[in-house]
Amino acid sequence: MKNKLEELRKARGLRQEELAEALEVSRQTIGSLENGRYNPSILLAFKLSRYFGVPIEEIFIYEEEPS
Amino acid sequence: MKGKKTLYIAFIVIGLCFTAAALILWEAVPNSLGGALMGSGSGMAAIGLTQLLMLRLATKDPAQARRKEIEVNDERNVAIRRRAKALSGDVLQWVVIAASWVSLGFDAPLWVTLAAIVTFVSKSVLEVYLVARYQREM
Repeated sequence: MKNKLEELRKARGLRQEELAEALEVSRQTIGSLENGRYNPSILLAFKLSRYFGVPIEEIFIYEEEPS
Repeated sequence: MKGKKTLYIAFIVIGLCFTAAALILWEAVPNSLGGALMGSGSGMAAIGLTQLLMLRLATKDPAQARRKEIEVNDERNVAIRRRAKALSGDVLQWVVIAASWVSLGFDAPLWVTLAAIVTFVSKSVLEVYLVARYQREM
């Protein structure tokens, strides 16, 4: 799943460590989320959404896989 | 915090008591019991001491302790640990069944083969039980 996390973080001038601290996750989790290796739980997705003040759909882009 | 400290101190005391009992009763008890007392005693004392030192470090540097707590509870780290445990459990299950076949080939005592089979079956039964339980819970 693609996301705009890196874009949103950089737009706010935050380092990965700072975002991780604010969300109470590890810096590695933020890194993995940003490069799409890890999909967050719904709880973390909501935390991110509230932190950046944007709907979840604006952070994560769900594209159905071609069948 | 205080409850944890008491628990770890209790671990150290019980561990040292077990170790002392093993040393005092060395001649009076069978070797297996002495060994078990010594092993469990020293293990408990070591765990208690380690945890107590960790607790002391956490009290000295709360920021570092908080970072450590976040690392441990981080959802990605939890998912990684669960996946690793599940896969290693599966691998171990097949290693055990392979060992039972090998033991047959080497003409090992029957209890070795049976122990391996019982371990394999127990793991499979536990897995089915847990799947059923999680199906109800989730």
